[in-house]
Amino acid sequence: MMLYKLFLQQCIRSKEVWISLILITLLGVLGIIIGNKHLKRQQDAIAEVKTYQEEHFDRQVSLHNDDLGLLLYYANFAYINTLNPLAGLSIGQSDVYPTVKRITIKTFEAQKYDTDLVNPMNLQSGNLDLSFVIIYLFPLLVIVLTFNAVSEETETGTWRLIAIQSKSKLGFITSKLLVRLILLCTILIFLFFVAKLILNLSLDARFFWMFGLSILYILFWFTVSFFIIIFKKSSGFNALLLLSVWLVLMILLPAGINAYVTSKYPVPEALSTAIAQRDGYHVKWDTDKRATIEKFYQHYPQFKRYGYPTDGFNWLWYYAMQQMGDDDSKEQQEAFSTKLILRENVSSQIASVIPSMHLQLAFNQLAGTSMSQQQEYLNATDAFHEELRLFFYPKIFESQLADTIDWNQFVPEYYKTKTTLKPLKAIVPLVVASVILILFSIPMTKRL
Amino acid sequence: MQWVTIRLFAVHFWRNATAPKSFYLLFFIFILLTAYSAVSGIKNHTTQNDIRQEHQIKARQSWEANPDKHPHRMAHFGTFAFRIHPTLGIFDYGLESFTGNMVFLEAHRQNSVNFSEATFSTGMLRFGELSLALLLQIVLPLILFFIGFSSVAGDKQNGTLKILLSQGATWKEILFGKSIGLFAISLLFFIPILLVVILALLLFETPLVNDFRWLRLLIIGMSYLIFLFIVSSITVVISASSNIPKNALLRLLGIWLLLVILLPKSAQAMGNYWFPTPSKLAFQSAIEKEVVQKGDSHNPNDPHYNHLRDSVLAVHKVSKITDLPFNYSGFVMREGEKITAALYRKHHSKLVNLYKNQNDLTRFSSFINPFTAIKVISMTMSGTDFSSYIDFQDKTDDYRYQLAQTMNELQMEYISPKKESGSEGKTHVVGHEHWSAFQDFKHEPMVFANSMKEAFPAVLSILFWAIGTIGLVLFVSKRVKAI
Repeated sequence: MMLYKLFLQQCIRSKEVWISLILITLLGVLGIIIGNKHLKRQQDAIAEVKTYQEEHFDRQVSLHNDDLGLLLYYANFAYINTLNPLAGLSIGQSDVYPTVKRITIKTFEAQKYDTDLVNPMNLQSGNLDLSFVIIYLFPLLVIVLTFNAVSEETETGTWRLIAIQSKSKLGFITSKLLVRLILLCTILIFLFFVAKLILNLSLDARFFWMFGLSILYILFWFTVSFFIIIFKKSSGFNALLLLSVWLVLMILLPAGINAYVTSKYPVPEALSTAIAQRDGYHVKWDTDKRATIEKFYQHYPQFKRYGYPTDGFNWLWYYAMQQMGDDDSKEQQEAFSTKLILRENVSSQIASVIPSMHLQLAFNQLAGTSMSQQQEYLNATDAFHEELRLFFYPKIFESQLADTIDWNQFVPEYYKTKTTLKPLKAIVPLVVASVILILFSIPMTKRL
Repeated sequence: MQWVTIRLFAVHFWRNATAPKSFYLLFFIFILLTAYSAVSGIKNHTTQNDIRQEHQIKARQSWEANPDKHPHRMAHFGTFAFRIHPTLGIFDYGLESFTGNMVFLEAHRQNSVNFSEATFSTGMLRFGELSLALLLQIVLPLILFFIGFSSVAGDKQNGTLKILLSQGATWKEILFGKSIGLFAISLLFFIPILLVVILALLLFETPLVNDFRWLRLLIIGMSYLIFLFIVSSITVVISASSNIPKNALLRLLGIWLLLVILLPKSAQAMGNYWFPTPSKLAFQSAIEKEVVQKGDSHNPNDPHYNHLRDSVLAVHKVSKITDLPFNYSGFVMREGEKITAALYRKHHSKLVNLYKNQNDLTRFSSFINPFTAIKVISMTMSGTDFSSYIDFQDKTDDYRYQLAQTMNELQMEYISPKKESGSEGKTHVVGHEHWSAFQDFKHEPMVFANSMKEAFPAVLSILFWAIGTIGLVLFVSKRVKAI
């Protein structure tokens, strides 16, 4: 025990170490505050949408009481992706994608991909959230604390003493590293504790998964460092090499892989879908009305009883046309979503061999801010849209008065992100990477 | 201070630095990275533009294929505007991946610009993109630090410095000489990238658009030269003021982390924190509210439009709108479009100003951070910055307005005044030759003068940094100690 206490004292003796420990704690807390702000903004947006929606329907009903078809041309309904509080730790893609969608019952594809108001500079710079601090900065701290753990002994001449006096040189080094690991884990525990308080997190499985993965990630960096310092090169050389590893894992590899994925899998399908849905709807203004309505009834045979009104303008025909925007672009939509899934799969496959990227994707998955979860939300919005359609179509076709409908039932609806926990898939890449490094270090430990 | 001695130090530094085999390994890796990012940059540029061009043509074809119809139907048929990827985007990706590429333009509605690369990507994109500019801004400085950290501190440690000084060399000569030597080495890395960009520009020469690309490249090139000189000198200065090479390296790495990762990220985060922007709903309903106040053309009892109708009837001395010499519904829509478009623009420019405030923190932090200075200059001059994007948005909105109003005017002119409302059917129609007569949207890049204005603070700051660095070298040369 005495030995560990001395190790600790030795470790935190230097000013630089103190500064970097305090700095990372502060940045961690700052990251949590920024994450909290992000959640707060969504809360505000939800509150806005709630009050807006009440007034919105009152106004529409008073304007277009006798024309329900026209009313629903304007009326929009909110569907909200409630962010899990963990999104405050890993904002992920939730700043690119809108989390509050307001949709009309018209062509869904024309509204599906509408974006929020965002400043692209903020997106490019990325979020300084806790996940950034853990993924980018903790490894640096590991480097700062460990790069000279062995070399300082050789450089100050104490190594020979240790070699004679300690039972095991390897034991000496590992316990030295262990002290540093415990120190970093303490900071991590502190940060997660602060996060729990500020973000009001519930101590559920996902929270502990995030924490556990962070620990494994830090452990991985310790094995990297161990592998390098065990060669007993000079401190300068170690620092240089460790930082190069950091640079490659944090910047060069991810950036290079991005360039690869982007140029290998462009997404022209997105643009094709947009054009197809426009043409799907708009050209119907000029084509045979009966054909359009017949196509509509093929999709919804239950409405056949409303007949084929083809004289002049009528809402049945109008909404049948709108429906065609969605129906006639099905092929393109499918190609589009297949491409997105392909991209996501390729990305996560590549990421699984690069711990930094893997952890980021795992965090986003746990926090519900990943791309696939956004796609799920969009699909759920589609289902919500379909429900609205089925509710309103018969009422429009029967020309019901708007005030016969209870509009109070249309409060904003909430979607809850599903997180599928795949512990094995999340842990294995980190553990395997660490184990491989330890295996590689074994031959060197014998020559200490 | 003698030029001959400075040159001697520079040449000597060059020889020393380029002697070890590890230097060639480093150089080789850098060239590989250059080749990789050049290829992916060029490939991305061509595929993106091909895709966008192809869809622009497709969208246009279906626009022109419309038969004779009511012009208001065409106003809603609408058109798509595609953003063209700038040629210098090959060099600096800037915000390209985070800005939308396509917007649907129709009457009454200002749609969002959709489908940015970021919306197709996983969280991976936030790690950055490998572009030629990234190599110069982030990787090359690190390489220079690695090559130069022991430039003076090493001499100090092994004692040669004392000999040099005792033989009559001055500190000024040593510091400037080594800075120039390191700067010369940085050119070795910089020139291949420059050549690649020049080649790409020649390859994608389009004589139709005059976007001052060569002038832009010249400014980019000059700025990077200054930037590399600043980095080289600072490396040597830090090395000179450290007693052992290891400390110099640690300090330089600390500086790199602070200036490349922490400061830029915090500056943008602070801007985002201090200048909150409205949600989409708040933004839209603010406009909606003002529209209702000013006159809602969709409200049959709106006082503004009732008043307008009465005065129009009075001027033409008729009692019914169907007796007017033009189609009144087209006239009302023209008025409505004018009001809503003006209000939208007012609110949108307010929003853009908020964004600018957020970004100003970054832009002006270039006075304390040369890395930000070069980043801002580089992407602004490449046409991949925030202002270029806003410029595109404004241009599409102008076009949208033109489209809506042209269709409204066609309606006023060609649709019978007897047709009070509705746009359905084949009786009240306008000939389809008018559709192809309305020009397609063509994305013109932002004018050079605007880019220059945007980049001005950063250009100024990098000049300050250049002067400041020379001052720093002179200052340090008086203070520094040989042991």
